Amino acid sequence: MSARICNRCVLPEAPPDIRLDDAGMCNICHNFDEEQRCAEPDDRGLLETDFLKIIEKHRGKHEYDCLCMLSGGKDSTAALYYVKERYKLNPLVFTFNHGFVPDEHIASAQRTVEKLGVDFVYFQTNFMKDLFRKIVETKSKVVICPVCSLWYMLKTYEIAAQFDVPIIVSGWTKGQTTGSTRSVLSKCACDQNPDEFKAMTEATRRFMKEQVKTDPKYRDFPMTMEEVLRIAKKKYKSKAIVLSPHWFVPGGPDEYVPVIREQLGWEYTARSYPRQSTNCDLNFLASKLAMENYGYSVYHIEMSNMIRMGLVTREEALDLLEMDVDGEIFDDVLKKLNIEAQHQ
Amino acid sequence: MTILGISCYYHDSCAALIHDGRVVAAAQEERFNRDKYSPVFPIQAVNYCLQEAGLTIYDVDEITFYEKMYLKFERTVLSHLAGYPFTLRNFLDTMPLWLKDRLTVSATIEDELSIKRPVRYVKHHLSHAASGFLLSPFERAAILTVDGVGEYACAAYGSGSGTAIELRKEMHYPHSLGLLYSIVTAYLGFRVFSGEGKVMALAEYGEPSFLDEFRKIVHARSDGSFELDTSYFSFNRGDRMHNRRFEKLFGSPRPPGEELNDRHRNIAASLQRLTEIVLIDMVRHVARESGEKNLCLAGGVFLNVTANSRIREESDFQEIFIQPAAGDAGAALGAALYLYHSVLGNPRMPSLKSCALGASFSDRAIQVLLRNRGVRFRAMESDELVAEAADRLAAKQIVGWFRGRMEFGPRALGNRSILAHPGDPEMKDRLNLIIKHREAFRPFGASVLREHMAEFFEQDWSSPFMLFIARVHAAKIDAIPAVVHVNGSSRIQTVTSEENGIYYDLIEAFRERTGLPMLLNTSFNDSEPIVHTPEEALRCFEDTDMDCLVIGGYLVEQ
Repeated sequence: MSARICNRCVLPEAPPDIRLDDAGMCNICHNFDEEQRCAEPDDRGLLETDFLKIIEKHRGKHEYDCLCMLSGGKDSTAALYYVKERYKLNPLVFTFNHGFVPDEHIASAQRTVEKLGVDFVYFQTNFMKDLFRKIVETKSKVVICPVCSLWYMLKTYEIAAQFDVPIIVSGWTKGQTTGSTRSVLSKCACDQNPDEFKAMTEATRRFMKEQVKTDPKYRDFPMTMEEVLRIAKKKYKSKAIVLSPHWFVPGGPDEYVPVIREQLGWEYTARSYPRQSTNCDLNFLASKLAMENYGYSVYHIEMSNMIRMGLVTREEALDLLEMDVDGEIFDDVLKKLNIEAQHQ
Repeated sequence: MTILGISCYYHDSCAALIHDGRVVAAAQEERFNRDKYSPVFPIQAVNYCLQEAGLTIYDVDEITFYEKMYLKFERTVLSHLAGYPFTLRNFLDTMPLWLKDRLTVSATIEDELSIKRPVRYVKHHLSHAASGFLLSPFERAAILTVDGVGEYACAAYGSGSGTAIELRKEMHYPHSLGLLYSIVTAYLGFRVFSGEGKVMALAEYGEPSFLDEFRKIVHARSDGSFELDTSYFSFNRGDRMHNRRFEKLFGSPRPPGEELNDRHRNIAASLQRLTEIVLIDMVRHVARESGEKNLCLAGGVFLNVTANSRIREESDFQEIFIQPAAGDAGAALGAALYLYHSVLGNPRMPSLKSCALGASFSDRAIQVLLRNRGVRFRAMESDELVAEAADRLAAKQIVGWFRGRMEFGPRALGNRSILAHPGDPEMKDRLNLIIKHREAFRPFGASVLREHMAEFFEQDWSSPFMLFIARVHAAKIDAIPAVVHVNGSSRIQTVTSEENGIYYDLIEAFRERTGLPMLLNTSFNDSEPIVHTPEEALRCFEDTDMDCLVIGGYLVEQ
């Protein structure tokens, strides 16, 4: 029998972290409502002028005002577009490929960069391939994306330090932030302690300790996002802050997708999970495993946040989260990981 | 050319934006931070105005502030010194506000908006005057501004011609009609800024039997100027501004919440009568001095619809224009207009026909909210919505009406309104008790089709911003009891097809069903600022006993 799903968001019942009440609403939604209810009158959320305050401290003081992380998807493309055209900053653009990013996504990023006439750093590596394989082979419950994000964030900090860039701009959506809007800034949106992340975070911690730390190849691999920040500060001497313009302006993709379509000729890619995203191929496997292990993926968490924030309907979220790909994509990914294909 | 106007630090803080020769947005901060009459720096309103125009602060060429803070500070210090040592405590309480916020406006703007622009300060009453004249339909007009107090001025008059404004005379603090009204409002146990309207409503239940007493403290001259006898007041000396001498004259003050009695009602009536007398004298004097045919009024005192209507009837001016946000919120817009037209010489923009200058929300955003909240709703075409809402209103249902851009100023004019049948004799009590949770003596306004106004009212003129009252024909009072005040008048908004679109269609549809070309219209709120977002509208709808809600293109039932 499949788990009950919260009747407001798309998170399934997953005790002890995610619990549904008799009316079918989850504790995460209840917590969100309570936070809203208890918000201080001066808690105005994040405003665009707050974003400007941050960037104005650094504008023109470095060769590049910011380092924009660009996947080629709608959110990072719109973030880059805002940075360049709306806020008139001089960005350096950084695209990271761990070997599973489809050529189509890279091409989209390149088109955007060319249209905007900004400098571009492209980094491709197979360094994490063995680690990904280990996750699959050990049948660990660790979710691939948070582990991957540790590495690409460390790489991003390294590049930011290399080019002496004071701000790292991501395309993270409002749904990808957790906790209160204010704490988001101080923790670079990487707070993985909320209830809906607890089980995944614990699995990550255990996997990192048992499988990664013991592997000489990954001895220096950061264990947590806090460690990433520490390394960035100590080793790279980087004080760069991470933020996303999407946190500071009202609305969501409904507002910015038409803009980047018109201004940059941006289009959705043919294949990605969830629908209308531009995530790597490994993400199909990562999300599938997460759903098998927990009943939900990190995208269910993001979509649930967006539902609570009124940016997407529950029905739309359920539709976007439906994984209706054939097994070929999983076979492709497993093949790349040198694991025998298991799907037909 | 893009100009941002700002008002704040006293009450009704506000931001307004002029871009490409028109007012693109204006909104009070209270609608965002949900603190009624909020005085704080209007950071959310600024963000909204810029985003509405698709701009950032970098696109703003000029920033204006609605008063000269150093002049105001000078007046404050001098008036405290005059009352020393009794004013010391108040002085010490007040100074941190000045040092932290008020004297550092430029720095605050630079800090909050991350922009280095010289801030242009426009005198308080000049800001009011500009908000009245420069949005009026008049090429030239006399101007009268009256409020609590600006820097020194509490009232001013002059004239406008083309883009030029000249204020010729001022009345200075503490001789202030607005201040007197607020002092008596507090004396009668109501909250200053929100209670003045209550006193005005209460006045109609009393007799002006304290007029002689008021004349003892207000030494009025025939030109409308006057002096307050300050021996009845204790300015800058504590929480209350009247003193024992005042209480000897009028009796003890009414504690908030205490039952109202005839003395309270009579004091209110006397204050209102005195206000009207003084204002009419002022207006007559301005008419004589200026020789103009048209008059523009601005300042918080001209939110007094009863006084406005007497001025309209009893003055020699042919036409009168009052900008919908006549109080300090409108002064933010006035400061921007003054800079744009009078200082920079840009040609006049079309007169203000609609105060829908606030945020709107797409049907998509509304539908997301409704679906995620599990609210049952029906999507309907505009004509279907109008017909359905009219049917329900005719059946004496109370309808929340949330469509289009939020209104600028204190009135809801058909975009953020609660609507009801004006002919239901029980409607007034129903609304006051179960929806608005407010005093039973407060009347409700009416939105009436302009072309049908004369059928129900003795007057036949336009009042698009609900800033005037009209007397109901005696024979029609029983037909519209829910919108008739105890004195036989109604506060009215005249509605035209050109300016009000679907709201006009709704009232017309109601007229077809009932024969009444009007709806009871009250602001969409319950003891809070008027709702701003669909979420706030839905919450207010769910927390009260409205029968249905029209929100964007959707109908929601309880």
